[in-house]
Amino acid sequence: MFASLAKYRHVFLVGVQNNLVYRWNFAIRASFSLVHLGYVFVLWGAAYAGQESIGGFDLRQTLTYFLVVLVLQFFISAMNEDYEVSEDIRNGLINQFLLKPVSYFGYRLTLFASARAISGLLALLPVAIAFPLLAPHLSLPAEGWTWMAAVPALLLSAFIQFTIAYCFGLLTFWFLEIQSFIILSLAVETILGGQVFPLDLLPAWLHELSSYLPYYYMMYFPAALITGRIADPAAVLHGLGLQLFWAVALFAICRLLWTRGLRRHTAVGG
Amino acid sequence: MKSLARYARIWLACARYSVVRTMMFRADFIMWSLVELFWMGVNLSVIGVVYQHTDSIAGWGPWEMTLLVGSSMLVQRLLMGLFWTNLFEMGRNVRTGHFDFFLAQPGNPLFMVSTRKIDLDGFLNVPVAIGVVAYAAHRLGLEPSPVVIAAYALLILCGLVIHYATLLIFISLVFWVQSAKGIEGGYFGLNEFSRLPREALRGVGAVVLVYLLPVVIVSNVPARTLIHGVEPLNFLWLIAAAAVWLTVAVNLFNRGLRRYASASS
Repeated sequence: MFASLAKYRHVFLVGVQNNLVYRWNFAIRASFSLVHLGYVFVLWGAAYAGQESIGGFDLRQTLTYFLVVLVLQFFISAMNEDYEVSEDIRNGLINQFLLKPVSYFGYRLTLFASARAISGLLALLPVAIAFPLLAPHLSLPAEGWTWMAAVPALLLSAFIQFTIAYCFGLLTFWFLEIQSFIILSLAVETILGGQVFPLDLLPAWLHELSSYLPYYYMMYFPAALITGRIADPAAVLHGLGLQLFWAVALFAICRLLWTRGLRRHTAVGG
Repeated sequence: MKSLARYARIWLACARYSVVRTMMFRADFIMWSLVELFWMGVNLSVIGVVYQHTDSIAGWGPWEMTLLVGSSMLVQRLLMGLFWTNLFEMGRNVRTGHFDFFLAQPGNPLFMVSTRKIDLDGFLNVPVAIGVVAYAAHRLGLEPSPVVIAAYALLILCGLVIHYATLLIFISLVFWVQSAKGIEGGYFGLNEFSRLPREALRGVGAVVLVYLLPVVIVSNVPARTLIHGVEPLNFLWLIAAAAVWLTVAVNLFNRGLRRYASASS
């Protein structure tokens, strides 16, 4: 058991080293995200002009939601994982995993964990620098218990993000070009994941419908827990249950695609 | 005049080549067209949701805002269709030394670099963006005169020139720095402000994004022209901004070109 984990510990450490090479890329990307945050602040600031609350939340609560989403993107979002899986299949690099006692899924998941640990910590730098400017516009919930619930929600969100990216990468077994699938899915995720507006601002029936889709649990759910937009204990439990369901279902889809894909895969060379 | 006709012929030949190439990968073309369409839907959905909860953003109603966002999308689709891939590949070509290929061609290097490919999927959504603008104008009860429509088209063209110049400035930095990777993030980040009414920006933000950088006026001036008719000061402002930014971008590109030393650059 521990010997098996040791393999992945080494993978994690190699992943950390690889990602530290790209530290400036992550820092620059996070800085550009602050430009997006500026747009969000101006848009919602203008939308709130003349009214105290939108959807039951004041301006500071809504701006806090967007800042939390920005930071979480660097901690839990899949970034290049789909392309990396795709490249591994196309270049035949998965062949070595078929011969060694290393799970390709486990290997990729460990690399994902190391990448997000580094990108998340680096993204905190520009946010910390801008924090004195942002602080007067932010407001966190008084009740801290939702933060506790946010911990498993964040872990499951990261897992869902990874499995979706992994599934898209595995499509390379069937398609030569998967980039358009990924960007199309990203557009859907941007809306239904609550990245451009909090999903509770949708009409009630659409909000309800979206809560049954996996996108809801990729970003909106943990961000809503952290910012207190979801604070009803029953709703939290219900959400965690559905999130767990999607995590398991997506893992099963990953397994299925991997098994089916390998039947089509041809390993050439030594 | 003769030279202009020659360049038009070159551009047409490149366009023909792009169409033939795209038709070889039809499924890919359909997928990318859908991608562009979905992203336009993302931008419009934000407006839809915000106006579910408010009547006005900085004095702009929902259909005025839709017209503004449609104008912003129109400029961006034109940029995507005509220049995006070409300029983006320029950054890579300078790094690898493949830029030599463009210098060896019998024509102005900037023209050759900028017009080699046309992205039909970006171009296909230009009519969709025009449809959004036309529908918003209809909902506002606007009946623009031919003069206003011509002025709007000219201003959209100026917007395209400004976007092209901005992107060229960003990408030309590759002549000095190792990598232009991530630059598109900066461009898209700034471009988001073109979907905001000018009146929403105040203080330093207004100085930087309205006056120093022409990010906001690129879409606001054409949209205001369609809604309120031609406003001479704004009209001249956008034309002057397009001229200034294009001059700066071309000069920067030419300076970079003098530094270029093939693969070792």
